[in-house]
Amino acid sequence: MRVNLQEQKSTASSSLLKKNVRKFMRNKLAVIGLFVVVLMTIACIIGAIAGVDYNTPVLTEMKKAPGNGHLFGTDTIGRDLFARVLIGGCYSILIGVFCAVLSSVIGAVLGAVAGFFGGKTDAILVRVSEIFQAFPQLVLVMMLVAIVNKRGLTNLLFIFVVTGWMTTFRMVRNEYMSLKGETYVKVCEAFGMSGNNIMFKQILPNVMSPIIVSTTTNVAFFILQEASLSFIGLGVADSTPTWGNILNAAKSISIVTDQWWIWVFPGLAISLFVLAINFLGDGLRDVLDAKQQ
Amino acid sequence: MRKMVKKFVALSLATILTLGTLSGCGGSKSNGESTTGGGANATEATASKAEAGTLKLAVTTGDGSTTDDKIPTPWYNRIMATNLMFRGLFLADSTLTEVEPDLAKDYTISDDGLVYTINLREGLKWSDGEELTAEDVKFSIETALKTATINSIYTSAFQNIKEIKVDGTTITLTLSKPYATMLDVLAQFAILPKHSLENVDPLKLDSDGFWKSPVTSGMYAMDELNVGNYFTLKVNENYEGTKPKISKIICYFVTDYVTAAKAGNTDYVFGNDASLVESLQKMDNFDTHEVDVLFYKYFIFNMKGVDGKENEAMQNKEVRKAIIEAIDRTALAGLYPNATVLNSGVPNNNPAYNGFEYSYDVEQAKADLKASGYDLNRTLKICYYNNDQTSIDLINTVVYYLEQVGFKVEATLSNDGTTDLFTTRDYDIGFKGKSSFSIDEWYVEYMSNDGLFQNIFGGDTAFDALIAELSSETDTEKRNEIYKQLQDLEQEKMYKVPVFTVGTYVFTSKNVTLPDGVTFCNPLYMCDLDFANWEVK
Amino acid sequence: MVKYIIKKLLMMIPMLLLISFIVFYGLQLTGIDPINFMVSPEVLSSNKDNIDALRESLGLNDPLIVQYFHWLINCLQGDLGYSFDGSSIVSIISVRLPYTFELAGYSLVFSAILGIGIGIISAIRQNGIIDYVGRVLAVLGQAVPQFLVGIILIQIFAIKLGIFPSGNRVSPEATNPFIDAFLHLFLPVVTLTIGMVAVLMRYARNTMLDVLNCDYIKTARSKGIPEWKVYLKHGFRNAMKPVLVILVFRIPMLVGGSVVIESVFSYPGIGLTMTDAIVSGDYPIVLVTTMIIAGTMLICSFMVDVFNALLDPRVRLSE
Repeated sequence: MRVNLQEQKSTASSSLLKKNVRKFMRNKLAVIGLFVVVLMTIACIIGAIAGVDYNTPVLTEMKKAPGNGHLFGTDTIGRDLFARVLIGGCYSILIGVFCAVLSSVIGAVLGAVAGFFGGKTDAILVRVSEIFQAFPQLVLVMMLVAIVNKRGLTNLLFIFVVTGWMTTFRMVRNEYMSLKGETYVKVCEAFGMSGNNIMFKQILPNVMSPIIVSTTTNVAFFILQEASLSFIGLGVADSTPTWGNILNAAKSISIVTDQWWIWVFPGLAISLFVLAINFLGDGLRDVLDAKQQ
Repeated sequence: MRKMVKKFVALSLATILTLGTLSGCGGSKSNGESTTGGGANATEATASKAEAGTLKLAVTTGDGSTTDDKIPTPWYNRIMATNLMFRGLFLADSTLTEVEPDLAKDYTISDDGLVYTINLREGLKWSDGEELTAEDVKFSIETALKTATINSIYTSAFQNIKEIKVDGTTITLTLSKPYATMLDVLAQFAILPKHSLENVDPLKLDSDGFWKSPVTSGMYAMDELNVGNYFTLKVNENYEGTKPKISKIICYFVTDYVTAAKAGNTDYVFGNDASLVESLQKMDNFDTHEVDVLFYKYFIFNMKGVDGKENEAMQNKEVRKAIIEAIDRTALAGLYPNATVLNSGVPNNNPAYNGFEYSYDVEQAKADLKASGYDLNRTLKICYYNNDQTSIDLINTVVYYLEQVGFKVEATLSNDGTTDLFTTRDYDIGFKGKSSFSIDEWYVEYMSNDGLFQNIFGGDTAFDALIAELSSETDTEKRNEIYKQLQDLEQEKMYKVPVFTVGTYVFTSKNVTLPDGVTFCNPLYMCDLDFANWEVK
Repeated sequence: MVKYIIKKLLMMIPMLLLISFIVFYGLQLTGIDPINFMVSPEVLSSNKDNIDALRESLGLNDPLIVQYFHWLINCLQGDLGYSFDGSSIVSIISVRLPYTFELAGYSLVFSAILGIGIGIISAIRQNGIIDYVGRVLAVLGQAVPQFLVGIILIQIFAIKLGIFPSGNRVSPEATNPFIDAFLHLFLPVVTLTIGMVAVLMRYARNTMLDVLNCDYIKTARSKGIPEWKVYLKHGFRNAMKPVLVILVFRIPMLVGGSVVIESVFSYPGIGLTMTDAIVSGDYPIVLVTTMIIAGTMLICSFMVDVFNALLDPRVRLSE
């Protein structure tokens, strides 16, 4: 009997999965998005594993247009741009995904705790989040750079996570606040379920959809944010070829007008990836949204 | 529920209104400012009539040397805008070594080179109508020695002045020892008005309110400063020389010269950064003038503080040798439009050059590094402060070269070069640029009492005697001999290693008609450009 | 309700104090010595005694907490202090803050109208042409880094076509201050709006979709209320709540986020001042600009709370 029930449950969930997959596949933009994201990520990882040479300056070969063994041309000191965009992708995608996931997790957990327990816990967490939110990211980056005396990748990861969790936090908290009053939660409580159980097993699935949407948006947001920080000179050290650092060449007007490939390719890489991930996020939302099913 | 909705609508309306007024306020307020700031409307009519006579300049604020809420002080770099406002006792030609009297009428130098007697012109006036007197000169020289932001050419020259005597329009400078380039330095030195500045703390001189509406002595006087946007100059009514043909000058605060030039916001640009030079050379509406200057790009090693604290890793000369051997300076020179590799303060084509060469030899570098016993797990720190793309490219290439011979390298872009190189000193190799006034200036940096370099060379006195000899020697043959000795010494000590000198360019737009025979000098100094005869379309 | 608002407002005071202390302390930790900034190393090494006197007179030898309260009391009296280069911060801020408000204000209004408009139409005609085109355009706007958009706009409109100025806010040759303002604001506002529209559109679309799937909409439809009325009266109103929350949250992001755009357009607002101060380590300015942004942020978050409380009594009751 028991076994049967479980089987039933698993067939039910697998058919739900199938239904979701089918629904997702119908959304062409989302499928393209997924495809591009996966393709770019794999390409970057393959590039890194294959150990493409992104770092050797050949001063006689500088500012060469695409072609002649350099698919994307060469940069201002003759490094192969294709290799740099691949390796840059590894860094940028790492920054985006790592920060988005970690900040969503922190935001969701804190938001759930605040929204579910309410009262003092909530008040304190909300204040903390407001204080974090009130800090301009730039100032934090600057202080951290000055304190540890280094413009490293870890700095950036740390700052992005620390300043990135509040949106998810507020969203999740507000959802919990509203959902707490719903009948099914009351019923669960009446059944004597533990707080943890209700919080994470019962309510959380209902707020997963906004969390997933905001996580995907955040991947894109952090990648763009990294580029902006590099632009004003507060990003990762120049020797690390993130997409933002490569794109920095666009600061120089002569490169913008005369050596288009130096900024167009990294610019395209960023935009394409961000675009794809946004489509993916939209598609996921349409699928995951419980209310639409 | 209905009540709720009503409230909500009211509230959101209120918000939108507030936002509207906020932005509205912003708008009208700043508009108000631009009208009050010098009566824009009133001057409009004359401005458009005199449209033909408006020269546009640009001042960049991105490099931290100037801010967009005041005029840059002429005591640090002399740029076009301040050259037109402030004069010195003398005016140099484009070589910066031949001078004509300017504020001065005439001068005599005693045979021993110790007493300079300078007569001022009569009837000189500041732009506010006050008389420009010998007291202003005395005040300026004395203040220069006490102020914080000043080019070291002035301090190293003026510290030799023992006494300044003023008698009517005559100034007598008595030196403690001869100083060969005193006149050249005086030709660069802007005289400032005592009556406006005597109560200002010299340490805070460059941030004083004076620079928002300065009293000037040159062809032009300050007209209007619009913080963050521009300042304009008008012809100085009290200027006693030939009135310039250009009646108005607008100087925009910009972040990028090339954009400003392309958008038509400036008629005059200078620089040595490869991308700037390339873009401007490609522009049909700009003329290129190559300028003969000594712009050194060089490495400095952080050896030892004045407090005697050594940077151990760099003490072994073999390590420093290996570093230089690992770097292909000739290839690096390719990054700049017109760079010439050199091996000491003296350019290779100068008769005083001693012939020594730092060679590029990776194998030798590896061998030297091995022999030196340098710990390859230690991170070698490079510090640089120029944030233009070419400098960043150059440093990235240097990092690559050093990694090839086995160093672990970390390069940091400093936001405040002077402080990081000479005060904080958390680095091994510094990369510096210097727009030098003369070869001597390169060597003065080795002086044991040099304000900056004593902090990293530990106040080594080895160079002092030779430099003192040089600064008082006027005979060319003998000077060359001293240069040779200095080169041998610097190559032996290896505190500073030059990479190359870079060519500097001045670009003027085709709107500007230059009078015949104008030769541009180092754009960070001042020389006679016959500006009174410049014309603008 | 009034009590709730007052309580929230009062809450902001200790938070501002806490933030100011953290920033003050953090800037101390960075080890930037104001003296290094004010005095060149040349003078530093030769005038030890004068420097010590200067240090003492500036109160730099006092304990941190004393320095903090000193700064705080001055600020409360309207004296924000002086930047390291000697200018009064009040005078810096009073010129630049209105510039930034202008830039941010216009961008906010335009992006709100465009973003919410397109978002709602896309939601109503889900998977229709407007939905696809709108989404692609908006997401494109969000996908290209803002500074790159700015650089490209400058290239096209300021350099190639010469229609708009490439930077600054006021031109010395302007005849009409309103036209001048329009010309200088156009490109930066467009750049900021392009970036903002995307976010607002996504949220407007998503929330509108949520609302349209709600039972009361179905009920309204089943009652035979005309479609447009359903959308406007039931859909729009209810969808606006989360969208407004996001919109309000965008304000401080605009003030802070225009930082990059201000430096692309050398627009003399608070953002450019702040970047310059950060890059050169001028921390009195960093401190004040941070407090301005933090203050704006707190006010916005207060407004969000008030909205929420107005719209959802449960939120208020639980506090």
